[in-house]
Amino acid sequence: MAEYFGAAVADIFNTMERRFIPEGTKGVDTVIGYNVSGEGGGYWRVTIKDGTIKVEKLDAAPTGCTVVLNAKAETFVGVTLGKMDAGEALSSGNLKVDGDITVLITVLPKAFNKFTPIVKARTIVESMKERFRLDKAEGVTMKLGYDLAGEGGGKWTIAVKDKTCTLKEGLDSDCSVVLKMTAQTFVDLNTGKLDGATAFTSGQVKIDGDIGAAGNSAKLFAKFDTGEEKAKGEELISLKCLPTINQRYATGPVMGKWFAGLKEKKFYATRCPSCGRVQTPPREICADCRVRSEEFVEVGPNATVTIVDLVYYASPDPLTGKIRETPYAAVFMVMDGAGKDQSVSHFLNPKDFSRIKPGLKVRPVWAKERTGNYEDLLCFEIDD
Amino acid sequence: MKRVAICAVAQHKCESNIWYKRFQAMLLDVLEDIQAQTGMTFDEDTGVHTIVSNSDDVFDARTISDNGMTDVLGAHYREEEKAAQDGLNALGYAMSIILSGHADAVYVAGHSKESQSESRNMCTNLAYDPFYGRPMGLDYLNVAALQARAYAEKSKLTREQLAKVVVRARQWAARNPYANATAPVELGEVMYSPVLCDPIRTLHAYPVSDGAVGFLLASEERAKEFTDTPVWMTGFGNCMDSYFLGDRDPVSNFALKKAAERAYKMAGIKNIKKSANLVEVMDCYAYQQPMWLEGLGFCSDGKGGKFIDDHGPAQYNVNLSGGMLAGNPLIVGGLYRAAEIVLQLKGSAGEHQASDVTCGVAQSTTGGAGQFHTVAVFEA
Amino acid sequence: MSTHKKNRHVGIVGIGQTEYSSHKEHQNQAEMVNEAVRNALADAKITLDDIDCVVHGNMELFEMVHQPDMWHSLGSGAHGKDQFRITTGGTTGSSLVCTADSLVASGMYDVVMAIGLEKLQEGHTTGGITNMADPLWFRHLQTGALTATTATLMIEEFGEERAKKAAMKYRILMDKHACLNPRAHRRFGLEYDQMDDLMNTSPRLVGELRLIHMCSQSDGACAVIFASEEKAKKLCKNPVWVRDHITVHREETFNNFGIERPETTHHYAARKLFERNGIKNPVEYFDVFEMYDPSAWWGLDWLRDFLLLKNDEHLKMLERGDFDLDGKIPINPSGGVIASNPIGATALLRPAEAALQIRGDAGPQQIKKEVRHALASGFGGTLWTVLIMLEKYLDW
Repeated sequence: MAEYFGAAVADIFNTMERRFIPEGTKGVDTVIGYNVSGEGGGYWRVTIKDGTIKVEKLDAAPTGCTVVLNAKAETFVGVTLGKMDAGEALSSGNLKVDGDITVLITVLPKAFNKFTPIVKARTIVESMKERFRLDKAEGVTMKLGYDLAGEGGGKWTIAVKDKTCTLKEGLDSDCSVVLKMTAQTFVDLNTGKLDGATAFTSGQVKIDGDIGAAGNSAKLFAKFDTGEEKAKGEELISLKCLPTINQRYATGPVMGKWFAGLKEKKFYATRCPSCGRVQTPPREICADCRVRSEEFVEVGPNATVTIVDLVYYASPDPLTGKIRETPYAAVFMVMDGAGKDQSVSHFLNPKDFSRIKPGLKVRPVWAKERTGNYEDLLCFEIDD
Repeated sequence: MKRVAICAVAQHKCESNIWYKRFQAMLLDVLEDIQAQTGMTFDEDTGVHTIVSNSDDVFDARTISDNGMTDVLGAHYREEEKAAQDGLNALGYAMSIILSGHADAVYVAGHSKESQSESRNMCTNLAYDPFYGRPMGLDYLNVAALQARAYAEKSKLTREQLAKVVVRARQWAARNPYANATAPVELGEVMYSPVLCDPIRTLHAYPVSDGAVGFLLASEERAKEFTDTPVWMTGFGNCMDSYFLGDRDPVSNFALKKAAERAYKMAGIKNIKKSANLVEVMDCYAYQQPMWLEGLGFCSDGKGGKFIDDHGPAQYNVNLSGGMLAGNPLIVGGLYRAAEIVLQLKGSAGEHQASDVTCGVAQSTTGGAGQFHTVAVFEA
Repeated sequence: MSTHKKNRHVGIVGIGQTEYSSHKEHQNQAEMVNEAVRNALADAKITLDDIDCVVHGNMELFEMVHQPDMWHSLGSGAHGKDQFRITTGGTTGSSLVCTADSLVASGMYDVVMAIGLEKLQEGHTTGGITNMADPLWFRHLQTGALTATTATLMIEEFGEERAKKAAMKYRILMDKHACLNPRAHRRFGLEYDQMDDLMNTSPRLVGELRLIHMCSQSDGACAVIFASEEKAKKLCKNPVWVRDHITVHREETFNNFGIERPETTHHYAARKLFERNGIKNPVEYFDVFEMYDPSAWWGLDWLRDFLLLKNDEHLKMLERGDFDLDGKIPINPSGGVIASNPIGATALLRPAEAALQIRGDAGPQQIKKEVRHALASGFGGTLWTVLIMLEKYLDW
């Protein structure tokens, strides 16, 4: 099966139920589809519902999903293992997401323990040549056979002679000793999950031939490196903290007038004594003329739309630290009676997302309780 | 060499809680003051085109804090750069702009509102690295306390001498219309005021303050247009000490001595005690007044305590503004120091005007326990 | 009034960069600064002893460090030296150039090192930028630097098909340049035949501003060493000269989207700078332009302003290949901001990369023909701009 970064796509799905964290998904109800293209790819559907998981391999593209991930097999494995950056895969188009992208950010990190590539018997056997210790091989001649049963198993012969080590598939008939076990036992032995004495006495390993040679063979090879030690050595600590310093912002008499006006459902702007520019929100000074603006005039409440931003990217509101709900729309508009260059902006009523366009008239939607702040205005909406 | 003139200075009165004004409005007052004094405009052809602002993103709780100021700096469609250390460095930068020939007039304005944050110590705690200094709780106050103890030891500073510094600061502050803490205090009151951060007591520390300051700098040729009484900025230098407290000698004044040396050299001053007759130091805490005076060379090394008893501060006209102890905010502390020097040298310091002053030194510090120092020299 | 005649000339004598990436767990901030500083010193073949003054720049609220130059002095080499900290948002890096230029030209310092940096991974970039808005009004709504307003206006002006294609062509061109630059953060290997696919399938951030259009969030630092003419000629066989620079800011509010739209700061800056330097035709004059292009839409749109072009001239130039590496005026051979964006360093990288082009040391992204005149820009604030002119010879 095709592998990328030492793992196959199917490994990731096959281990999902084992890696699942039920406590992390309380109250979650979502269906994630996977469309992994290329060698080793396929279709999967993962249903996560209130602490339970169901993983299905499908024959056709998944349907009925909250979100579908589309990626090449290499990208999918790379991102899963953290070998490739998810953000960059998304940016470059190598990873495409249809549907609610926030599921990937909010649900997945809490739902699974990290996937690590499964060590295969073949990998361990094939690494023996590299692990061969010349300093222990002086005068040693032997043939070591492995007969590994079950998934991922196979038969290999390792010949040691004249300080060289050769590996071939299949069992030679003249092996000094043949070790028989399941592939899983072999992997466990080599990755330190099972010790040799236990495996032998419990009968999980059968030795056919020269027992002495079997014992000697162990020291001919350096320990198999699972990569875990290396990963531990490279572990770099990041400290997480959320520095918070409470602030008390002054409004002063000018912004104060604006906020006081909102309480009364009114908009007060300043008029520049020099150029006549009517500024919204009001300003202490006209930046153009560098003169103090002290005259207040009432503008609005309706406004003309100039441009609209429909925001899909979920970012934090720095005033609260909470991630904003998307999509939301920022409508830029010129209030009736304000300067033609004055664009104020506020949220647009979601019901108008599809109809909004420059030139339309909008009106404010007021909060029931108004205390003199930004939230006194819920949003603006098309003035039909 | 070209000369740089300070044509005008404007100060906002410092208060502990200017809750009724946005800092924009504070800066607008300063701008209008400067314009009234000098007729400065930002006219596309004939006005000021270059502005150096001074503020801090953490204290303003605002990314690009100068963005909130553009309008009141006159910087709409003009050049503006923000110096984010103590503001005396903004003056140094403005000086270089004029000497470089890039512009012949520069408006400098800074503000700081310590009252906006829940705690200024929480702000300065963020100056420490997040791994070690921050969780340990370091901030500019408790780091100063460590230095205060070491310095008192070194320079034989008694609590009576420390109290004298504060009493004198308040006496001068009472005559300075821009000072914050102006109520007179007695020696005993200072000595037995509540402990803030041992050995620093409440009255040893500068009060929480809000303020704003503006300057108009110009080349010698251009200065005539704005004032008949220019003050010349003739020397500038600053210097960085080690970050980790354990890497420095906390009482060596390493950075301050170097900064002073450079500023004096630029001003052509060989013996500062003979040349200068006016000094403003950034004494956020009482012990810093004699300590910085040692670093500046007005007082011999290790003799700060005796210097106070010998009326050294009066001899050199030290902190006639009342100093930081009378309440200026961090960030613009150095601008308030320079502002006082300029007013004195112009002869417009009013009730606290000193006689026959010709050359003044302004000093400021950024970072914990004087990690970074700035020194500027002004002459009438 | 303003003279803009320098007291003395200032040359760039050393440039150091880190690689740019989204993760730098192996370095803390001071260590990252140090890497750029060492590289700059090595490039200039000098030691810290030769540096008189350091100018530091980044944004406090991205990493939430107050007066970060204090901590970063562990790596910046500022210990015992004069130091300034200048920060103006996105324009910080170019402000550092303006400051270093003034400090050296003034005669106050002979050799000044400017250091720009950001470790965006240590904070939230968009949240950090949103913090620029007034806390009482608009911080509730601003979404960092993400906006589709330019996309909307370009679509309105040039039609959906042409505008979207042009923005994507610009994006792919930048990626092609980035792929040549070994230091660039994002190098995707995009091909022009992916245009239609990317235009329609890249995730939307805001309206027609899609993920593929937007700049990266990078960790990295850049250090540039400036010296007086006398020193520069001693230290370096090919210093790059800082000819002039202009900074143009706008008022606090985003009054850029009204019924009447003001002259952009980009256009204003270019107009003023070229006028006072006697440059009639910037497209003819400049051999390279390193532009602060936070998104493909902005980059393409701003070329019209910066190069004083009219109507759809910028689209035609792009369509003709004039902005390619071997084109009439190559844009961002480095890959630009879309490829690498450590914000406090970003606007310093522009003149740094332009200077490398003039020196002929840009590496795989070196423009083949001689580069004598370079333009670099910075961007930030409420659509602020900085323009910097660099020259190969002292012959203006």
